[in-house]
Amino acid sequence: MTQTLNTIDKAAMAVSGFLMVLGIAVLGIVEILAGEPYGAAAVEQTNEAGEVVNTIYPAVDPTIRTGLVILGLVILLLWGIYKVTSPIPGEEQARTTEVPSD
Amino acid sequence: MSYQAANPLSEEFSLELSGPLAGYWLAFLRVVTGWWFFHAGVTKLIEDGLSYSYGPMYLQGMEGTALGPLPVWMGNNLGWLIEAMVPLGETLIGLGLLFGVLVRLASVFGAFFMTLFWVGNASFGHGLVNGDLMGLLLFGTMIVFATGRYYGLDAIIERTKFVKNRPRLRYLLG
Repeated sequence: MTQTLNTIDKAAMAVSGFLMVLGIAVLGIVEILAGEPYGAAAVEQTNEAGEVVNTIYPAVDPTIRTGLVILGLVILLLWGIYKVTSPIPGEEQARTTEVPSD
Repeated sequence: MSYQAANPLSEEFSLELSGPLAGYWLAFLRVVTGWWFFHAGVTKLIEDGLSYSYGPMYLQGMEGTALGPLPVWMGNNLGWLIEAMVPLGETLIGLGLLFGVLVRLASVFGAFFMTLFWVGNASFGHGLVNGDLMGLLLFGTMIVFATGRYYGLDAIIERTKFVKNRPRLRYLLG
């Protein structure tokens, strides 16, 4: 089943890819440049007694980053549904040629 | 990417992307991913049957995530369904991938599960890319490369007249 990509296909690939790379890698670089914490979660600093004295939050809220990735995944899902529901060129012709002539 | 439909056990060895090595590796990835989910699901079925009560509790704890109030609402209102569908869904997804049946459809549901695990499980202490996200990407790989066509039953199902007359089914098979 070889098909060429139409405008919707290209747009879905470009937008979803952009959103996912933005959420994972680009904002990850922003977080590294912003300094500690280098992970994507808040880090609690404790004193010798083990009491939390300070909490350092990541520069970019992980909810925003995961949200961008999920948005990209949703676009891919919608694209998949579009592909399943759209007729394939020559599909009807293929089916009609299978019908016996008698 | 082509696959050797006529002789998948061909002894040719190639480092090119279209070679038998690629098919072998994709099939291996599919089987391991399938076993991962089958094991997770069937052990829940053995221990809790269709009453996996941790499922709704897990969703109820997903407050303040990028999925908004949806998982909490699901945990509160669809508990009876979640309790049954988590073990059953994981088992069926696993079986689909293990035998290579309806791999693309099974992988869509697998990706849905992994999205919930990725967003709900992780504190992201070591960054956003963790094992759950890699699992999610594995299911994406299953869909993109149609791995059920490599040593999987989808390769046979896709050659049936029923599927040939309905080529769009190949978006769910393969």
